[in-house]
Amino acid sequence: MIRIDRIRKLFPTREGEVEALRDVSLHVAAGEFVAIVGASGCGKSTLLRMIAGLIPPSSGQVLLDGSPVTAPRAETAMVFQAATLLPWADVLRNVTFPLRLMKQAGAGTEARARALLATAGLTGFERRLPRELSGGMQQRVAICRALLQEPRVLLMDEPFGALDALTREEMSLELLRIWQGREMAVVFVTHSIPEAVLLADRVVVMSPRPGRVAEVIEIDLPRPRSFEQEALPAFQAAAQRIRALIYGGRLPRAA
Amino acid sequence: MRPSTARIAAGLRETAPGIAAVVLLFLIWEGICRGFAIRPFLLPAPSLVFAQTLAAWPVVLKHTWATLGTVLLGFAASVAISLPLAMLIVSSRALAAALYPLLVITQSIPKVALAPILIVALGANELPRVIVTFLVAFFPLVVGTVAGLMATPPELIELGRACRAGRLQELLRIRLPFAIPFVFGGLKVAAALAVVGAVVAEFVGAEAGLGYLIQTSMAFFKTPLAFGAVIVLAVMGILLFQAVALTERLLFPWSSGAAPPGAGL
Repeated sequence: MIRIDRIRKLFPTREGEVEALRDVSLHVAAGEFVAIVGASGCGKSTLLRMIAGLIPPSSGQVLLDGSPVTAPRAETAMVFQAATLLPWADVLRNVTFPLRLMKQAGAGTEARARALLATAGLTGFERRLPRELSGGMQQRVAICRALLQEPRVLLMDEPFGALDALTREEMSLELLRIWQGREMAVVFVTHSIPEAVLLADRVVVMSPRPGRVAEVIEIDLPRPRSFEQEALPAFQAAAQRIRALIYGGRLPRAA
Repeated sequence: MRPSTARIAAGLRETAPGIAAVVLLFLIWEGICRGFAIRPFLLPAPSLVFAQTLAAWPVVLKHTWATLGTVLLGFAASVAISLPLAMLIVSSRALAAALYPLLVITQSIPKVALAPILIVALGANELPRVIVTFLVAFFPLVVGTVAGLMATPPELIELGRACRAGRLQELLRIRLPFAIPFVFGGLKVAAALAVVGAVVAEFVGAEAGLGYLIQTSMAFFKTPLAFGAVIVLAVMGILLFQAVALTERLLFPWSSGAAPPGAGL
């Protein structure tokens, strides 16, 4: 469904061009959950924005269903690290904002938005303003906003990065529950290794400067996933492998 | 009705110190005038100011309406010109580079110096006064609006682009609403400055208005009446400022930090 073909990205800086991504190739199947993990500066957010059509590659191409992505497409929706809700609009209007902006809002839009908010546990909050919600609730609204577009690809850029650890765990499981009921591929950028292993079918490990794909690791854990699986050898092995790839030879060790 | 009485009580608690400070200031002023027996044409006591202003109330009221007209027209012109101007500045780097020096030039010219020139050029009517008022008031509104339009978080812009919004849609549906609190910040300053601008214009060329009243009163050493006109001007400035703040609270409750209705259940 998504084919990333030998893309390279150069960013101009004052000291000349910086290579953000080098020769990155990747394939995401329809309905697949792929996590991208890597240290800061490995270009994982840049890669995500290229899939979204927000920034063009310097060379190579991103194909969605066989056709090159040159601009944002209706099939993809994005969730950012910050909830990026409109402060002037209530929850319901925030969720329907993209469809209204794209002039695709119809008679059933509001009912679907309410139903989505209900599955996210936000019934009764439809008329609240974003600033009246907690960080976790705001991010739930942002996810509902993306889902209402019925994307075939959901792009998530460290969506739980700004949340506290407990909310984060709760949200990961909720995301899995929502994803399981849909024909939707998810590309999930994170720098939490356990989060990547818990969520994904495959984890793409990237290395920095320039950003490259170090390895793609299949996660062989049964679904539905749960936190009990963290104790399983397969979970531990995958997490260890990712850690080794990210830190290379210099594995951090407590004294 | 408990919440509304609570709100009124809270409002009183907030405004009481301000009122007390003003009353105290008037009492000290009154005390100084009486205690040192200062002659009224140098510094009239507040009681005398109030008495003389009330005695000439119909005249004061006539001049107040004249000034208020100039203030409101100048303020309206500021809004009508500043908002599109700010959007133009934000929409293009070249336009911003061309317009900003012009804006700074209009701000560095003393409006008192410009007023007589405009009155000769445009005639002794309302127009030059409105233009001077506009010139004094519009700058903070442009700067505030531009700041607001530029302060839109990049993620929100990215969201717009991901939803395939065009430049105009981005400006009108994301940047402009986001700028509302900044716009109102600029409007509050502009409202206060519009009063200043109108009086400056009236000093130079007018046959009515509180600025004109102050000048003619002082020419005849009717100092209490001049002070009365100054107080009316201050009240006018405060009321305009509050009118802008109230408009913000009513139309854009999310902007002003006021709790929206139904919150805190």
